[in-house]
Amino acid sequence: MNALEVSNLSKTFGSVKAVDEANFEVPEGSIFGLIGRNGAGKTTTLRLILSIYLPDSGKILFRGKEIDNTFRDSVGYLPEERGLYKKMTVMDTLLFFAEVKGKSGKAVQSRALDYLRKFNLYDRRNSKIEDLSKGNQQKIQFIATILHDPDFIILDEPFSGLDPINIDLLRQIILEKKEEGKVIIFSTHLMDYAEKMVDHLAMIDHGKIILKGSLAEIKSKYSQRNVSITFDGDISFLRNQPFVEKITDFGNTTGIRVKERRDTQKLLKLLVENNVTVTQFNANEISLQEIFVELAEDDKTEEAA
Amino acid sequence: MINNKVLAIIKREIKERLMSKKFIYTTLAFPLIMFVILGVQAALFGLDKNETKNILVISNSGELLSKLEKGLPNNRKLRSNKYNFSFKLVDSAKVKEFVSERKNLLHKNKLTGIVFVPASALKNKQVQYFSKSAKNLKIQEQLSRALNMVLVDVYFSDKHIAPEDVKFARERVSFKTFKVSESKGIAEEGYGNLALAYVFTFLLYISLLMIGQLTMQSVMEEKTSRIVEVILSSVNSRELMAGKIIGSAIIGLAQMAIWISPIILLVSTTWFTLPKEITLSITLGQIGYFLLNYFVGLVLFLGLFAALGAVYDNVQDAQQGIWPIMMLIIIPFFIALMMMQNPNNAIADVSSIVPFASVIVMPVKMTLVDVQTWKIATALILNVLTIFLVFPFAGKIYRVGILRTGKKPKLTEVIKWVKYKY
Repeated sequence: MNALEVSNLSKTFGSVKAVDEANFEVPEGSIFGLIGRNGAGKTTTLRLILSIYLPDSGKILFRGKEIDNTFRDSVGYLPEERGLYKKMTVMDTLLFFAEVKGKSGKAVQSRALDYLRKFNLYDRRNSKIEDLSKGNQQKIQFIATILHDPDFIILDEPFSGLDPINIDLLRQIILEKKEEGKVIIFSTHLMDYAEKMVDHLAMIDHGKIILKGSLAEIKSKYSQRNVSITFDGDISFLRNQPFVEKITDFGNTTGIRVKERRDTQKLLKLLVENNVTVTQFNANEISLQEIFVELAEDDKTEEAA
Repeated sequence: MINNKVLAIIKREIKERLMSKKFIYTTLAFPLIMFVILGVQAALFGLDKNETKNILVISNSGELLSKLEKGLPNNRKLRSNKYNFSFKLVDSAKVKEFVSERKNLLHKNKLTGIVFVPASALKNKQVQYFSKSAKNLKIQEQLSRALNMVLVDVYFSDKHIAPEDVKFARERVSFKTFKVSESKGIAEEGYGNLALAYVFTFLLYISLLMIGQLTMQSVMEEKTSRIVEVILSSVNSRELMAGKIIGSAIIGLAQMAIWISPIILLVSTTWFTLPKEITLSITLGQIGYFLLNYFVGLVLFLGLFAALGAVYDNVQDAQQGIWPIMMLIIIPFFIALMMMQNPNNAIADVSSIVPFASVIVMPVKMTLVDVQTWKIATALILNVLTIFLVFPFAGKIYRVGILRTGKKPKLTEVIKWVKYKY
């Protein structure tokens, strides 16, 4: 079942189509990645889901019902550019953010204290935000995002600007929340993170959804004719082989696309025959990065035509 | 409109600002500053009074000169203002020459001035005054009265008129003012309400500007620190703006109530008694209206200030957008000041009802004269209606502006925002 269904969503700013007829579904209990380069329309899409912007057209259904003000209360949002009231104390900040989500009282207070203990910030609970380090401010922002126990967590470029310890902390929070059955949507332009964490994804480019589905499906669909290899030696002879469609150097690994599925065996044989030391040979393997580059390139040629 | 979320925002706003040192300082400092300004004024006035003025009185008539010699130094008013007199008999043909000889003394301030009182002054009261600053009105006025006194005495001395008659002729007409009001009948009026009108004018003017700017800055802070995006994922922009404005208006109201609390105590208790000349004729009802009107006015102006804060990223950029709003405060301020001379002039009459202007003009007018109840009610109702008229636009600008960053928007762009579907 889908927790969230986005259909034909569009939003225009002046002459710029920020989101263009977007359609995608976020299944219940999943980690969903909204992937695209900077300026592709990720933040606008998220803001539309959060009703920060009103769509020009299209619908957003949350568990089958069109989103309204009550939906807001069940969402925790961590925007890309984060900020807190500098002069407020840690505790006041947390309680305020819970209160605007409609949660107040003893229960929230003790939850807040629990989180502060967990993140080693208990003894800073009465400090002003401006007196905390940047890393600790980020932690407070995470707590503020999840303190009201949202069913739905939306994170916009969550890993940008975080220190390594907090990246790890956030990853833990995300996985924990997934265990609890919450739905997590995050946007990123960093394919590596997406690949490691998401179950489902949608790729967005120039406001259009160019790819969507579960990570496993997408990978198997795109990887059938793809081989990823790590090797020592010279593979330039492959360029003259008629069955090799494309060679892409990714640094540590090289992606090779063959014409037909069975050509992968031919490729391995050829490599061995030509004295190339193959340390890794992965048929049916393709990175999101490769898929994205391929799709975005298609998009470009389309534009040129 | 006002739900728990708006209450949370109002609460936060009040807690953060009411507890801030800035609020405590400005609340305490403002009356102090007012006293200091009044004190400095009084001190400057006193300084002028204490300066010794050396006046040389000359005449071509020995008899007149001797009367002046007796009369002038004994004049109480002149004595308290530190006048020093010397006298000399000079032939009328040689007056110019006599003065030129003393040019140096005049220029070195050894001599403040030379008064030539010719014998003909007993017929036409014409005297001549020579000084470095001959147009010093204060000295002229003080000397003229004293000279007149002597001249009148001399003139009537051989006319066989009783001294009481002379005294009566000399007396000026003195006004005792009574205010005829509908409710309280006829009551003697002092200067108390005029002073109160001044206090109200300045308090309204300064606090509108101050609370307005603080609210603008607080909106800007939320915008530039990007807190606003998290908050907008919980409440809509209308709720946020409403919470912000109501919170700020409550703070402004609290500050104003603290400032005028001495007046409230004066009116409602008998703990203090003021001298008759400065009693305040103002009712608790009027003070209540003053506060209500101020609250409505604050909400109205804060809507504009909040929208302005959302448009710009920093105070410097906002300066160019702020002046139309400032004008809406400054012009009524000057109208209110002008009204002290004549509270019933046409401009004051109109602006006491016109939205925005009435926020300052009406309460000041009410302390000076009786205003019909329907006018008072109309002023308030029009301001409330204006809030309903202006807020949809201000809200739209706020909503679009608060999430925008980067380039400073032009006025034409801001106008376009109003049409955006956001």
